[in-house]
Amino acid sequence: MSKKILLIDDDTDLINVYKPFLQKHGFEVEAAYNSEEGKKLFKSFKPDVVFADLVMEHFDSGFVLCHWMNQQPERKNAHVVILTSTGHETGYRFSTQTSEEKTWINADDYLEKPISPNDLLQYIKDKVLKET
Amino acid sequence: MKILDARILIIDADTEVVEFLKNHLGTQHVIESTGSGIDGIAKGSSSEYDIYFISMSLPDISGRDVLHAIRKVHEEAICIMMSSNPSIDSAVQTTQMGAYNYISKPFDPEKIIPMVHRALERRWYILEARRLREERENNLAELSVDKSRLATVINSIDDGILVINQNKEIIFYNPRFLQLIDTDRQILIGDSMFRYLPQSLQKQICEILQKAESDGKTGAIKQELVIKPPFELVVMANTAPIFGENGQCLGVVSVLRDITEMKQLEQSKSRFVNMVAHELKAPLAAIHSYLKMILDNALGDDIVTYNTYMKRSLERTEALMELINDLMNIFRMDSKAVKRNLEKVEMADLLENTVELFRPQMEEREISVNLALKHGLFVKADPEEIRRVFTNLISNAIKYNKYEGSIDISCVEDGRWVKVSVKDTGIGMTADEKDRLFQEFFRAKNKFTRDITGTGLGLAILKKIVDEYAGRITVDTEFGKGSTFTVYLPRVMSGE
Repeated sequence: MSKKILLIDDDTDLINVYKPFLQKHGFEVEAAYNSEEGKKLFKSFKPDVVFADLVMEHFDSGFVLCHWMNQQPERKNAHVVILTSTGHETGYRFSTQTSEEKTWINADDYLEKPISPNDLLQYIKDKVLKET
Repeated sequence: MKILDARILIIDADTEVVEFLKNHLGTQHVIESTGSGIDGIAKGSSSEYDIYFISMSLPDISGRDVLHAIRKVHEEAICIMMSSNPSIDSAVQTTQMGAYNYISKPFDPEKIIPMVHRALERRWYILEARRLREERENNLAELSVDKSRLATVINSIDDGILVINQNKEIIFYNPRFLQLIDTDRQILIGDSMFRYLPQSLQKQICEILQKAESDGKTGAIKQELVIKPPFELVVMANTAPIFGENGQCLGVVSVLRDITEMKQLEQSKSRFVNMVAHELKAPLAAIHSYLKMILDNALGDDIVTYNTYMKRSLERTEALMELINDLMNIFRMDSKAVKRNLEKVEMADLLENTVELFRPQMEEREISVNLALKHGLFVKADPEEIRRVFTNLISNAIKYNKYEGSIDISCVEDGRWVKVSVKDTGIGMTADEKDRLFQEFFRAKNKFTRDITGTGLGLAILKKIVDEYAGRITVDTEFGKGSTFTVYLPRVMSGE
């Protein structure tokens, strides 16, 4: 059975590229453009991998979403990655730059944008497919 | 060292004596005389004479009383007592009372002339000493005025000043200094600096003292010190050694200047640059990944998706160019390099013309527009800038409107203002979004705005323009219902 990937990002361009690309490589892919849609899909789609943006409707949407996912039973089987390009230098109050922040967000991994579709695919192969 | 034109007062009822002295001294000096002791006291004390000749025996009062009275007023008066009945006792007594000399009558001219010369010489010394004394007193008075003036200046100066001796004790500071090291404590003069000063400043002072001691010579150290992090209170501390006459280091003087505002500005500038970089990077990254997907043939022969990628790349390229134009406008406005062609602008005409430009876009989304414009209202402004304001507002009213929505544009007078409102039936804003609306690069993010492109600078520019004309802009909005932007610009009369 193919792995299920959930993309949660308000960046249309990112979804436009990742979604068909990952589908092309045999994954089942769903996309959400904000954390509310993300939550719904997390429950119904039951993804194996989640890539979530940090700053969506709010500067902290990603980590609030992450905390929520951590409390769901579906979280056990999901590998959750925070994908972000924002940092303190752009005036955001929150980022994934420090270890305190990472501990606080409590995701499985953190990736910096932009990440090319090929790199993303490689990441999934290395981190997710090998573990299972 | 002789006094010419000395003023001499003779107090004697004996006319022979008076005549004698006038004959021998009158050619060089000014001589006055009186036969009465009372009159002599009155004359002699009202102004100071250079020499007083006082007879011991006067018709009204004794010569001793006259001497006493005159010396009481003029402590240094040179009084020569004359007696036709001299005695050792009275000579001693009057000398003790301050008489300069005691001579017997009749006079010996051979003796009296040199004696008067000596008396005048003495008088010259007395006057000179008095002059020097007064001069000194004046200087002291001046000096103390100077001192308090300097203290006032130092205490009013907007820089903090601190003086430390080589034992690292605080010798002097002004009130501003306490503010700039952010302390409420009163520092005692002579206390160790380690008890009060921020460590960074202590370090700077120690460094200077050490260098001055080992090398004998050292320059000033200039350094930024963060007193309240991160940027609440930042000072520039300029510390220099104080050298004595023999070249030994006596201590240091530190001058603290508040550079908080400068640092904050610097900070917000660098944040702006970071945000710009971020805003430029995002669309470029998107375009890059689209192109790469196409060139890599990453989706095989999915021509439809490739086509979407190319369209989207084009859109984002256009948005990038728009962003760069907006950035250039913001920089131009911030550097005040904008050349304005001030004209009287008729608002209704300008609004009608601007709306015409948007007809095709409105028709495309079947948005209707209602104009309620009062003609004959003028503002004095650069028409291009005013047009930009309303182009921006109307363009937003279309972009963020719903399909088959409407736009109401009104232009009325409101006191000394021309009030223009642009009301849409669009997606509106939340309170949080409304608060951040005029921030550079802020764009409301929700499912409705996802596919709407914008630079995030339009409203920031608009606000800068309106501010430039001393106008204001207000926003009335309800999420999901629509927004009304109202611009107030100062009205000018048609005759002005």
